[in-house]
Amino acid sequence: MVTAVLAALAVAAIVFSYTFPLERYLPAAIVTARQVDDLIRFMSATGSALYIFVAGYLVYFAIAFRAKASDAPDAIGVQIHDNRKLEFWWTVIPLIFVIILSVVSVRIWYEILLEPENGLVVEAIGHQFYFSFRYPQINGEVTDEMHLPLGVPVTLNLTSADVIHGFWVPAMRLKNDTVPGLVTTIRFTPRLAGRYPIICTQFCGVEHSEMDKQVLVIEDKPSFDRWYKGWQQKNARVSNALPGVAGQAIPLQGGDVAAGKALFSQKCTACHKLAPFSQTLVGPGLEAVLHDPAHPDLVNGKAANPADVASILENGYTGSMGAMPSASSNGLSPQDIANLVAFLNTLK
Amino acid sequence: MAVAAVHSGGIAGHIHPEPQGFVRRYVFSLDHKIIGIQYIITAFVFFMLSGLLAEAIRTQLLNPNGGFVAPGTYNEVYSVHGSAMVWLVIIPLLTGGFGNLVFPLQIGARDVAFPWLNMLSFWIFPVAGLMLFSSFLMGAPTAGWMEYPPISLQGAAGTSMWCAAIFLVGVSSTITGINFVVTILKMRAPGMTFTRMPLFVWGQFATAPLLMIATTALAAALAALFIERQFGVPFFDPTKGGSPVMWQHMFWFYSHPAVYIMILPAFGIISEVLPTFARKPVFGYKLIAFSSMAIALLGFMVWAHHMFTSGLAPFLQLPFMILTYIIGVPTGIKIFSWTATLFGGKIHYSTAMLFAIGFIGLFTIGGITGIFLAAIPFDLHVHGTYFIVAHLHYVLVGGSLMGVFAGMYYWFPKMSGRLLNETLGKIHFWLFFIGFNCTFLPMHWLGMLGMPREVATYDPQFTFWNRFESVASYLMTFAILIFFVNVLWSIRNGRRSGPNPWGARTLEWQIPSPPHYYNFKHIPTVYGLPYDFSQPLPYKGLEEELTDSPPPVAAGAH
Ligand code: HEM
Ligand SMILES: [Cu+2]
Repeated sequence: MVTAVLAALAVAAIVFSYTFPLERYLPAAIVTARQVDDLIRFMSATGSALYIFVAGYLVYFAIAFRAKASDAPDAIGVQIHDNRKLEFWWTVIPLIFVIILSVVSVRIWYEILLEPENGLVVEAIGHQFYFSFRYPQINGEVTDEMHLPLGVPVTLNLTSADVIHGFWVPAMRLKNDTVPGLVTTIRFTPRLAGRYPIICTQFCGVEHSEMDKQVLVIEDKPSFDRWYKGWQQKNARVSNALPGVAGQAIPLQGGDVAAGKALFSQKCTACHKLAPFSQTLVGPGLEAVLHDPAHPDLVNGKAANPADVASILENGYTGSMGAMPSASSNGLSPQDIANLVAFLNTLK
Repeated sequence: MAVAAVHSGGIAGHIHPEPQGFVRRYVFSLDHKIIGIQYIITAFVFFMLSGLLAEAIRTQLLNPNGGFVAPGTYNEVYSVHGSAMVWLVIIPLLTGGFGNLVFPLQIGARDVAFPWLNMLSFWIFPVAGLMLFSSFLMGAPTAGWMEYPPISLQGAAGTSMWCAAIFLVGVSSTITGINFVVTILKMRAPGMTFTRMPLFVWGQFATAPLLMIATTALAAALAALFIERQFGVPFFDPTKGGSPVMWQHMFWFYSHPAVYIMILPAFGIISEVLPTFARKPVFGYKLIAFSSMAIALLGFMVWAHHMFTSGLAPFLQLPFMILTYIIGVPTGIKIFSWTATLFGGKIHYSTAMLFAIGFIGLFTIGGITGIFLAAIPFDLHVHGTYFIVAHLHYVLVGGSLMGVFAGMYYWFPKMSGRLLNETLGKIHFWLFFIGFNCTFLPMHWLGMLGMPREVATYDPQFTFWNRFESVASYLMTFAILIFFVNVLWSIRNGRRSGPNPWGARTLEWQIPSPPHYYNFKHIPTVYGLPYDFSQPLPYKGLEEELTDSPPPVAAGAH
């Protein structure tokens, strides 16, 4: 009887979990957001069903087995110590559930990880107290909104100019920290046009609470292109300087090739050969790094262009081959970086 | 029995002369029971202070644009609130407090292995607590209880004070851990084999190694942060070659085990209260004891589930997800076993029992949301939001703090010889239970819908539920005030309890309340598990404990 009631409640909870109009409260702006919603529904269904049984029996036992006025004051309960069979099952069933949940969540996680790698590369940089954005053909930084075209895969590189921030778009069901000295990447494909708040989720200073005012705009390709052109023109005269980690800009113009070459043999040859990309020492070979048609992309989805190479020199990089030190730990000044980039640019 | 021979001698074997004078008895006491009570009182004082901070938080959040305190102050308030609740309230209450008070009695020992160390570790604690609160005078830390660098490198001078204070509580915890491990290994009464130990002792036995091992990682992290802030050695600052993520590894290598430090002893309390008031043995004793050890061990292998957004390589994250799921299994075993303990019982609804049953109901919610959070795709959505705040309060307030209250109602007679008032107790329970759920349940959906944590202002669309939570939190505070009134009133006026008001079967209830400073006139011999109500008590040698006979050889030994 009790079991039947609890089962009915559990079914109700499962139905509720699978029919609740989540997207009415929080639109699913990217493709994988709906998969995360599927996971939420699955966990909410199983979790609430489990809870209904535990809490249901708890309350039922608590009421059914209370000492009654008619009991002798020293009456005792049934002296059950354990029950092998029961204990076996409530160890094994959760284990099976753990396996199912692992499969379900790993599959959804892989969908998120396996989003296309060759998408539009955008960079979001956390600052106290705003995010700025960099696009391939726009000089400098975009500082108000982040725009993305509908349906085009995006590779979003995240880093920070000061402290750790969290880059979260609730409508994407996705976030990652922006860590100074580290570039992290998330990939996704926008699926629903709209304006979605971008929110900082790591405490970053006094105005942390105010870091929820910017928006991600997802729009059709023509509108996006108009916006993009607008910024290209607006920033045409802005130098393409990168914000250094310490807030110092890195001027790429005026690098000295000879100085760069000397520096390369001092600071870089311990890990990099001047040989084709595949000839790894600690890191990859750097011959023709900026002009190698076989490797249009660098590590982490960075393009083989001077600005991105500079940002790797500046921030260092940690990847499958190991860690490359950042400029500060390698003792490189902004001018050194400019010199090195100028030198690398001559390798064809 | 061989065990008997091993355990009858040693430190537990003789009785020291009675300490003389107020200072020796109640201030610099070496008696584990007094030290336990000192911990409990001190922790409750800090509990009141950090509770006030909590109400400041909720008052600020009555309005979307805040306005109660300035944002900077608000950040100080919640940072000290969280730090104090974890390190000055829950951990000391459950380990130094109830641990000291109860488990040496339960294993039939006269004291812990190292009474002087015990006194030292207590006295470090209030000093550290005052240091933490004094950080308000010099600009308290603002980056939450986790104090992630680099932002914590920018924090005011109080952040260094925070490092020093938490370092000191850590030292105190480590000493306590060592003391408890040695005591449980070496000072059990003859015949008290591991499989006869009460479950509260098992809870402490699983916790103590965590205190010893994990806390050292925290100490290293804190020392590094302190040194970097004061002397500029760049451990964490990436512009000078440090690694900010390293702090997160070190911090969570401590702090995940620390969440088990904050719950395993509470599991132990629940496992004592349930059988006593259901008048039947706890269901599945062995599995409950074993699962505590499993949780403690697995607890060391899951820390990076707090770091799924920190930029770790995916193949590193995967094992942390799966291992965290697996912790759900031993945790589930406990919950099912406790529920089954009620089956076929003759349940007496004392306040302690209400809190114990409430604990199961609420902790389970936090345990389930914990499993949700271990699912990386879901965590990538809700990490750093109010969903986390909801989860952690369900386990820490619905779990640990409810456990503390259960323990208070249960063992108050052992501390004072008087019962807490049951009517006030029941009002306390119900108001607290309702207030708690109304405060923290809505945080689940607030977080999922887009409210980040650690914010002084928020999006106006969340106003309704925030106001609802704030009002409910006042109800919770009111319930806690009733508890304090109850304690203060009952210390003088409560009904006298006698040695064993609950008809409980563990050793601490077979001696007077409060016990003599030497605990047992004669160390008893143990013949079995305490929990079977149909059997006679499994102890020999307790005949004189409740008589007026003087303890044997009260003087001399040293
Ligand atoms: C089955 C048991 C549990 C699981 C699977 C679990 C899982 C998790 C996970 C994955 C997180 C990280 C969420 C995030 O920051 O994104 C988390 C946070 C947290 N958990 Fe649990 N948890 C469990 C039980 C507990 C217990 C027993 C406690 C304490 C008594 C606890 C206290 C906390 C706290 C304090 C946080 C938040 C830390 C912070 O970011 O400030 N958890 N839990
Ligand atoms: Cu954890």
